[in-house]
Amino acid sequence: MVTGVASPMAERLKEDGNNCFKKERFGAAIDAYTEAIALSPNVPAYWTNRALCHMKRKDWTKVEEDCRKAIQLVHNSVKAHYMLGLALLQKKEYTDGVKELQRALDLGRSSNPTGYMVEEIWEELSKAKYMEWELVSARRSWELSSLKETCEAALNQQCALDMSRTEESSDEAYIAHTERLKALERVFEKAAEEDKPTEVPGYLCCNITLEIFRDPVISPSGVTYERAAILEHLKKVGKFDPITREKIDPSKLVPNLAIKEAVAAYLEKHVWAYKMGC
Amino acid sequence: MSSSGAPSRKTLSKIATNRLQKELVEWQMNPPTGFKHKVTDNLQRWIIEVIGAPGTLYANDTYQLQVDFPEHYPMESPQVIFLHPAPLHPHIYSNGHICLDILYDSWSPAMTVSSVCISILSMLSSSTEKQRPTDNDRYVKNCKNGRSPKETRWWFHDDKV
Repeated sequence: MVTGVASPMAERLKEDGNNCFKKERFGAAIDAYTEAIALSPNVPAYWTNRALCHMKRKDWTKVEEDCRKAIQLVHNSVKAHYMLGLALLQKKEYTDGVKELQRALDLGRSSNPTGYMVEEIWEELSKAKYMEWELVSARRSWELSSLKETCEAALNQQCALDMSRTEESSDEAYIAHTERLKALERVFEKAAEEDKPTEVPGYLCCNITLEIFRDPVISPSGVTYERAAILEHLKKVGKFDPITREKIDPSKLVPNLAIKEAVAAYLEKHVWAYKMGC
Repeated sequence: MSSSGAPSRKTLSKIATNRLQKELVEWQMNPPTGFKHKVTDNLQRWIIEVIGAPGTLYANDTYQLQVDFPEHYPMESPQVIFLHPAPLHPHIYSNGHICLDILYDSWSPAMTVSSVCISILSMLSSSTEKQRPTDNDRYVKNCKNGRSPKETRWWFHDDKV
């Protein structure tokens, strides 16, 4: 990817734009960035800055256009992927929106794992995932309950038919029938389980945040913590492992990729676990 | 007059709120034996009833713990005191302050209200005599201005419990 060189004039216009943005004069900021883009169309920051102004004005189509342009220029822009994700979610394109947010999160973590952007992106991603799940699970549960009603009706009908045909004692047939109904109940209960929010297993949760891991790191004692939480602890409380109390040097924390994958697999199956505390 | 040793009340951070909500849910599903917490809408102050463990000096006695959470919980320890009347115990002052290292210097963010409660009950249970710390009067007089126990420079009596 070749990102163009900015002309001094364009840089001045960008500064103007930034100043307008700070004063919340988004229209004026857009004009300034537009001029900067006309002079140096290959500078990704001009596009993402303008996208941010469009976002403030909830002009989501333009946000999408500018972000896509910025991504063409530089494929690893956290901001461009993030805003593009939000724009797509606004258009109710959940799958693609979530994909962009996920990309932004991965990129953001590799550049600044504890930055505010990462936190913000995670929150938006969780919200989107949860919303998508609510829609899908509501439909699934409606499908299940109507299918169950149909099955029950069919069994009842079958039972009535059988009983009318035989002269033997109807007791046995009736017992068999109730057993079948119970079995049906169990099958449908099982099928509904995945969409029923329960507790996330403790081994997928951080001992400090008590929440499901996002960016798990492992301490020299072998305990896994949420990266931001353990770093905060080492900075504010002391340079020791919160569980084992062994000394820790912050540079000795390494990502726990296995737990990260386990969390991803769990969230894939139990999307409701994206729901956050508040 | 303000309530005893109320810490300066800054509202809980978002991280603290999230964490306390999780602790509350966990407590409701799985409360530590010997403790009752009446859930109120105040997440920042929990009043917990403690029942002395059977077979100990405090069997069947009930006391009340007041737990106040700071803005940056769990990176800072909660303030835990007994409400009046505090149990007679060599590590518990008559003003309710508790001399227990994990509440101060040895706090760790991996501890929870539940684990703190269990430590306090185990401290009570291991006591062999119902009496105040030897420096009780001096200490309580020094706290007259409503000082929080978290501001005390604790000299821990022993680390057996």
